[in-house]
Amino acid sequence: MIDRETLLEVFDIAERRRNERRRFIKMAGTAVAATAGASLLAACDNDDDKSVPVTPTPSPTPTAGLPAGDVDVLNFALNLEYLEANYYTFAAFGSGLNTTLQSGTGTQGSVTGGAQVPFQDATVAAYAREIAADENLHVTFLRQQLGSSAVAMPAINIDGGANGAFTAAARAAGVVGPTGTFNPYASDENWLLGGMLLTDVGVTAYKGSASLISNKVILDAAAGILAVEAYHSGLIRTLLYRKGLAMPALRTNADLISNARDTVDNGFDDDQGISSTTINGGAASNIVPADSNGIVFGRTAGDVLNVAYLNAGAVSSGGFFPAGLNGNIKTSTAA
Amino acid sequence: MSHDVSPIDALAAHAEQRKDRRAFFKAAVGAAAVGAGAFLVSKPAQAQTLTDADILNFALNLEYLEANFYYYAVYGRGIPATSITGVGTPVAAVGGKQVTFQDSLLAEMAREIAEDELAHVNFLRTALGTAAVAQPAIDIGVSATSAFSVAAQAATLVPAGGVFDPYASDLNFLYGAFLFEDVGVTAYKGASSLLTNKTYLDAAAGILAAEAYHASMIRTTIDQLGGNVGLKASTIRGDTELVSNARDSLDGTSDLDQGIAYVSSGAGPTSNIAPTDGNGIAFGRTTGQVLNIVYLNKAQVTAGGFFPSGVNGTIRSSANNA
Repeated sequence: MIDRETLLEVFDIAERRRNERRRFIKMAGTAVAATAGASLLAACDNDDDKSVPVTPTPSPTPTAGLPAGDVDVLNFALNLEYLEANYYTFAAFGSGLNTTLQSGTGTQGSVTGGAQVPFQDATVAAYAREIAADENLHVTFLRQQLGSSAVAMPAINIDGGANGAFTAAARAAGVVGPTGTFNPYASDENWLLGGMLLTDVGVTAYKGSASLISNKVILDAAAGILAVEAYHSGLIRTLLYRKGLAMPALRTNADLISNARDTVDNGFDDDQGISSTTINGGAASNIVPADSNGIVFGRTAGDVLNVAYLNAGAVSSGGFFPAGLNGNIKTSTAA
Repeated sequence: MSHDVSPIDALAAHAEQRKDRRAFFKAAVGAAAVGAGAFLVSKPAQAQTLTDADILNFALNLEYLEANFYYYAVYGRGIPATSITGVGTPVAAVGGKQVTFQDSLLAEMAREIAEDELAHVNFLRTALGTAAVAQPAIDIGVSATSAFSVAAQAATLVPAGGVFDPYASDLNFLYGAFLFEDVGVTAYKGASSLLTNKTYLDAAAGILAAEAYHASMIRTTIDQLGGNVGLKASTIRGDTELVSNARDSLDGTSDLDQGIAYVSSGAGPTSNIAPTDGNGIAFGRTTGQVLNIVYLNKAQVTAGGFFPSGVNGTIRSSANNA
């Protein structure tokens, strides 16, 4: 679906931001596999030298060093990154995740829907490109860490039509009526709402998983991805809040999306919209979905799947993942 | 580096200077996975003997700083006296001022962040119980020798000896917040894998996320003003690169910091709200590197900058990057 050029565009952005990226990916993979780090460090010493040999494809990282539990958690995260990467890559570039990044264990699926957003606000378009590049890197990074244990991209529904998962979510939330359609690619504002729907979930998924990871290096990386998802979510929620000043429906729709997530995930009211609150007698925003300790809430994997499957029950497919997730973590919890 | 170049040129130059250092650092971290002992070697020597309480107290010092800055900006006073007691002698923060916000949305966001930061202080104090350290002396004042002014001088936002008042305007406030928030993110990210207690780790992950939200709010708000003329650079986005470079000059040869200058690509201009490495992963700093920045000193010292008498607790020394 995506052509080679588009993928290169995606990575061109990353390349310009972080021009040592590919060398690092290759080197990190090598390092984890190696029995001695000295040769790696020696290689990196000469990083300025463009002639440092770089293999064109990332070296798979053996998972021998990773406990089975960590593999499960990373594969769960990888499924979510497949979803986010496709949504943002389509929105920014008009095509999805490159096919070379879709293979793995389990059943490889295809993407239903997805389209380039005709962005009106140049800054929003710039943000879309940034987030797309980051999500592509997350997919690449997780796949590399998992090596041959990486799951394939499952079937993904990011369609903007009447049968799309976004429409189902928007109907459940009341963002559109029971027969209405929600197309997240139709406008800057719709893209922001679609992004809020997915990215907040990414934050809570990584937050909920952090304490389950055993390997310290993986934990460190997961913490860094959590932070990036929070940067993305903060970016989107800030824009919805700011644009919501002139277009109040943006704030109320964001609140409705939050409420809908809360309805399906569990019995707690932990999710939060963005509408202003009162703190010490003055108006305050609610960009950060934090509890009374100022701590961002997390979701268990099962609760994340309730949202992704758009189903409050214990099921193993639906919503954004019509054939379910690949990997060992695939069942949502009964609310 | 010359400071009158365009932001993109500045970024390109910055990228050039940092690429080998960053690749080396990241590769070193990756290499640490090889042997069990290697991981600790890649951290400061002190990491081998740190307890969770040491790490939480380190974080508490940073939260004291952040909470007081935002509290002053929003309310014109520091955090409540009941939130600063503990091991050591508590010192009330002085020198801050209330910001007269022009942008009501920014005022609302500042109020939200202030409350989050106070909540972090109180949460950490509760988690630590009687082990919680008292609030150390904090310099968030506006004199020519204040930590903010010294930091701004280092970033060339103001001339040598010049005053930088982060409470003087919306933009100045944003720059002050920009200085703190990314450091908070890197501190929690760096510390997360050092914690042994899973409950603390879970909480720290949630605070890390909150700090990243805050940083994103600040960076996004700056970016929305980004094309306007900066204090020093030709644009506000360019100014942020100057601040980022100044931070980077303190914390060692690894490049752990990024401003928000756009990058051009074949696909169009791309923002840089999330400061990430080549894997799309946020940066982390060791405790020593964090202290380099808040002490505004690249040498191994135990006080300075925003903490004139140092932080309280067992983690006190910045890394030796001199």
